[in-house]
Amino acid sequence: MLNRLPIPAQFDRIIVVGATIAVLGALPIAAVLIALLLLDELTAPEVVFWAVAALIVAGALGTVLLPNIVHAAVSLVATLLGVAGIYLLLGSEFLALVQLLVYGGGVTILLLFGLMLTRAADDPVIADGAQKPFAFGVAALIGGIFVAAVLDANWSQTDAAAIGIRDIGQRLFRDYGVPFEIASLVLLVALIGAIAIARSDQPEPEAAEAEEVTT
Amino acid sequence: MIPLENFLLLSAVLFAFGFYGVLARRSAIQILMAVELMLAAVSINLVAFAAYTDADRFTGIVFAVFVITVAAAEVGLALGIVLRIYRERATANVDEASTLKW
Repeated sequence: MLNRLPIPAQFDRIIVVGATIAVLGALPIAAVLIALLLLDELTAPEVVFWAVAALIVAGALGTVLLPNIVHAAVSLVATLLGVAGIYLLLGSEFLALVQLLVYGGGVTILLLFGLMLTRAADDPVIADGAQKPFAFGVAALIGGIFVAAVLDANWSQTDAAAIGIRDIGQRLFRDYGVPFEIASLVLLVALIGAIAIARSDQPEPEAAEAEEVTT
Repeated sequence: MIPLENFLLLSAVLFAFGFYGVLARRSAIQILMAVELMLAAVSINLVAFAAYTDADRFTGIVFAVFVITVAAAEVGLALGIVLRIYRERATANVDEASTLKW
């Protein structure tokens, strides 16, 4: 069946292997979560939280560990979609939508453009630096410190409550109007700077030829 | 009800992964991806604190919006720089673009 699909041949293997690994990894987690839900050990939001957390952690591991840079990018997309799910659980639909639009739409496409334009996709297997053990040690230290601090602290907390999109819009433009405008200015400056930096100094050869033809 | 600690622990783990990626990877684009992980971890923290401990329930969300904005600007600008380095040196690895290193 796969041979009839209009996709490049090497996609078959990648899709089959990737989907198999994903399903094999997700099945036990889903089984445990559903069992706990049926046994009333967990409530439905908690089940959603643990499923999304597993997706985020697996995607983050893939992003930083997979040697193939394109696979790492796809893994990053899974993580960012999971983060949108976390925002939904925390009751802010607006942020979840923004996360889907900006990361799922914009940032991912930008990263893939960067991959293609730097031809990292032609030679995608990139070794990590020689500082890998050191990096692992420092990251484990920082993660351990954070986890210990979170577990040690005594959080005074109230119930999570949803905040509507209408409220966010009104307060964003009423109370935070000036920072909002500054943020748009930052975006404008960054994009103009990116164009100025990435533009080549010499005219494109095709453009030069076209000018010769017209003159 | 999900306790606040769960969100904070998830965010701490995500941040540690992103930190490892930034330190261990060679390709500038993969370093950018790891930075995105760290920014997502920080945003989860901000939104979780806004939802659980802030009576106003709003400031953290605004901060998360600004984090997303600045992250988008950062990715655009950084990819411009990466493209320029690639054109000058035919590599996108940060350890081969070390002219400014003292």
